[in-house]
Amino acid sequence: MATLSRRDFFSRFIPKASEPEVTSKETAGPKVAIIQGRFCLAYQNSFCSVCKERCPESGAIVSERGIPRIIADKCTGCNICHNVCPAPTNAILMTSPPENHSGATPTDTQPAHPFF
Amino acid sequence: MMNMNRRHFLKSTALAAAVAAAQQRANGNYENTELDAALASDGVKWDKAPCRFCGTGCHVRVGVKDNKVVAIQGEQLAEVNKGLLCVKGYHVGGILYGKDRLKEPMLRKNGKLEKITWDEAIEVIAKRVYDKPSEFAIYGSGQWTIPEGYAAQKFIKGGLSNNHIDPNARLCMASAVTGYLSTHGVDEPAGCYDDLDACDVMIMWGNNPAEMHPVLFSRVIDRRTKGEEVKLIDIGTRRTRTTEYSDEYLEFRPQSDLAIANGIAHLLIKNGTYDKEFVSKFCNFRKDTESPSLFGQASTFEEYSQLLEEYTPEHVEAISGVPADKIRMLGDLFGRRDIRITSLWCMGVNQHTRGTNMNRLLHGIHMLSGHFGKPGDAPTSLTGQPSACGTAREVGTLAHALPGGRIVAKDDHRADCEKLWNLPKGRINAKPGYHTMKMWEQFCTATDQGGDINTVWVQVTNPGHTLPHLKKHFQNKKNLKDKFLIVSEVYPTATTKLADLVLPAAMWVEKNGVFGNSERRTQQWFKMVDAPGNARDDCWMTIAVAHKLYEMGLEGMKDKNGNFIFNIVDESGSTVPVWEWKHYYDVNTDEQLYNEYREFTFMKHKDVAPYDELVKARGLRWPVVKKEDGKWHETPFRFMEFSDSYVEKGKGLQFYHSVTKDDKALIWFCPYEAATEEPDSEFPVWLCTGRVLEHWHTGSMTRRIPQLRNAMPHAYLEMNPEDAKEQGLSNGDIAIIETRRGKIELPVWLDGRGHPPRGSIFVPFFDENLLINELTLGDIDPISKEPDYKKCAAVVYKKGAPSPLSKSKG
Repeated sequence: MATLSRRDFFSRFIPKASEPEVTSKETAGPKVAIIQGRFCLAYQNSFCSVCKERCPESGAIVSERGIPRIIADKCTGCNICHNVCPAPTNAILMTSPPENHSGATPTDTQPAHPFF
Repeated sequence: MMNMNRRHFLKSTALAAAVAAAQQRANGNYENTELDAALASDGVKWDKAPCRFCGTGCHVRVGVKDNKVVAIQGEQLAEVNKGLLCVKGYHVGGILYGKDRLKEPMLRKNGKLEKITWDEAIEVIAKRVYDKPSEFAIYGSGQWTIPEGYAAQKFIKGGLSNNHIDPNARLCMASAVTGYLSTHGVDEPAGCYDDLDACDVMIMWGNNPAEMHPVLFSRVIDRRTKGEEVKLIDIGTRRTRTTEYSDEYLEFRPQSDLAIANGIAHLLIKNGTYDKEFVSKFCNFRKDTESPSLFGQASTFEEYSQLLEEYTPEHVEAISGVPADKIRMLGDLFGRRDIRITSLWCMGVNQHTRGTNMNRLLHGIHMLSGHFGKPGDAPTSLTGQPSACGTAREVGTLAHALPGGRIVAKDDHRADCEKLWNLPKGRINAKPGYHTMKMWEQFCTATDQGGDINTVWVQVTNPGHTLPHLKKHFQNKKNLKDKFLIVSEVYPTATTKLADLVLPAAMWVEKNGVFGNSERRTQQWFKMVDAPGNARDDCWMTIAVAHKLYEMGLEGMKDKNGNFIFNIVDESGSTVPVWEWKHYYDVNTDEQLYNEYREFTFMKHKDVAPYDELVKARGLRWPVVKKEDGKWHETPFRFMEFSDSYVEKGKGLQFYHSVTKDDKALIWFCPYEAATEEPDSEFPVWLCTGRVLEHWHTGSMTRRIPQLRNAMPHAYLEMNPEDAKEQGLSNGDIAIIETRRGKIELPVWLDGRGHPPRGSIFVPFFDENLLINELTLGDIDPISKEPDYKKCAAVVYKKGAPSPLSKSKG
């Protein structure tokens, strides 16, 4: 019978429902995530949803027609989306909270010039 | 150059010249003008290659510096992907550089793999073959390059005369092969990816291209972005990423896709909206024989209509759960002449105990409605491996096949091959070898109980991970001491765990290669970097073992003049000893094997392009034919006069390898039949397995790329939240899944990427630590011998909760 390795078990792939909710007030870092469209695979129709799937904060990353968007007000700056972004050039930039916009930079359809 | 003294300068230029000369010998002198411009000033040298992963066949540009792949770009010049790649493709260079690459041959001694030399390894294999040539098998894959598969094919069928060679493609697209064969009389799609650019409606049958063929799917999504109208219909058993983009989602009970297709045909006839002219000009009718067979028996339109009588929309709803109105919607769409419809399918249709029949039915509804023969009107199966078409299907590395669409059962086909290979008459065995499932069953059965496969050599695939019902088909080997498993691999896998001999292999741009993608496109690349350590080409291994056997006097390794069956020559025509590794790249062995193979492709009009033409192109779709203008032309649309030069003038459409020898295709009637294992009170849910976007196949390559591993670290169980609630399971909890064949623990992922309906679960198969194939079924389609990985009966419960089974099967 196959069992989960210890490392896999702790990989936090799926946030456990039984874990205490992280509230933005207590853990919010000084930064929020923004998606740089010119690097994001989803913006090029190359289909990716990892940041939205792995975001532990309900509603902080939404997706419309497959394109992810960060809701800055809900982002706690936890960095997970940055850490898991698989784009050849990381598309998630952690930056100071914006004054008044929703988090996504304008779409740039230029293909990335990827170096790994 | 500034600080370089004259002596040093001369030395380095001499070295550069020597390297260039060596490369020219290995690669030959070819025209590839477009790439000359790609030489960059930063010292990075760019060359083209098809991506290593799926059957889409995207091209990448590979940047090389200091004998290392340092950069990857999407190839703008490639028609398939026009510069775009999926997340795997952008990281494809990383597959070469996992920390645990296999670098030395290793032999199991006292239970432990110990380093040995290549000479010893080749001798061990040769001895196993020599002692029991009739019990030796090669198990390969759709990841073999064409020359590799061709060499293995010639070794087994022309050399050992036992026909025990089969690819993992048997687990993948064998049902697509039998579907095309029994419809067109010859394998592989008539249409191509251009259909995606021209269709008004795209129907995906149990298919999730948004994750599995993202670059192809993006061709359609891009059209929408430009304002074009394309209707997407997802006919599936769970909501996927593809569903998010679809206009219609029709959810069917597993296995009942057969009934849906019949429901469409029923309506076309009932409403009189079938294409009468198309059917009378281009189609005959067929039904199955008492026991299923590839070509069945003749039928008539009247009988066909009568057999479809019962498939009313209401009856189809009762079987499938798809509302009758939606069946009518599909019937109406197919009945329209003013739109073009493309059907796409892949493993959902092929990995099916009635996979051949489902393929036939899809071809059937397109033929019956005349949605065939024009760009955008096409039934098209996709493949999952980079050369499933090129190597498994075209080279014919299947237990019953010979190169170029020939089969071992036919006298004239065997005679053809014996002539082309210069072998004595009667060398090729008329009896098909063991297909994949049988081969592994025989290997895992004790010799004294009839297990008459003694040694298997696995090349470029991972059966210890992918075979269904792993205990029966693979893991039982563990206790059979006289059985011997040889594995050529690049990384340690579930298969090398049981290997007695491990051979370190070169991969992708560490060797020359040719692949063939899903749309009949043959693609070539050159070796760009050296393989690490003592890793070597699979093709060299095959030739080296063959030559060792030739030295030992094995008759099969000689042609009818007594010469070695693999004769690779230099420009003067003298034999080059390529079985010695140091001479393998003295000439382009790949090119010579490819040219030899090319001769086989003309009979069934699958003419692959000359090697030189492939070097210049980003793949060419066969048949590739030289026309009056002196140039070589590819064929995007087969059997269609406007595109295919083998169609006689004025015919419009001609199935020139027709089963009925009258240039017509066959429309089959195949009934809905229940799955071989359906949920019951003990095992109440359907278990479906499949892939995810980030990992390719068993993850042996993609799981070594940090970005991809991070993005998708391990397998999971996808289930309906209501079902989960009933079992007290919430996100991240560990569940136990059990089938009649085993059990496994997995974390639950609710409302994740896929959304199964109640009573059904999904588990991806990429994870080596969580082998879902210990649970899968292993029942096969009676014609294609392809197993069903998409449905079996399972029970799910929370870890720690008492097992709901009266007697645990663990």
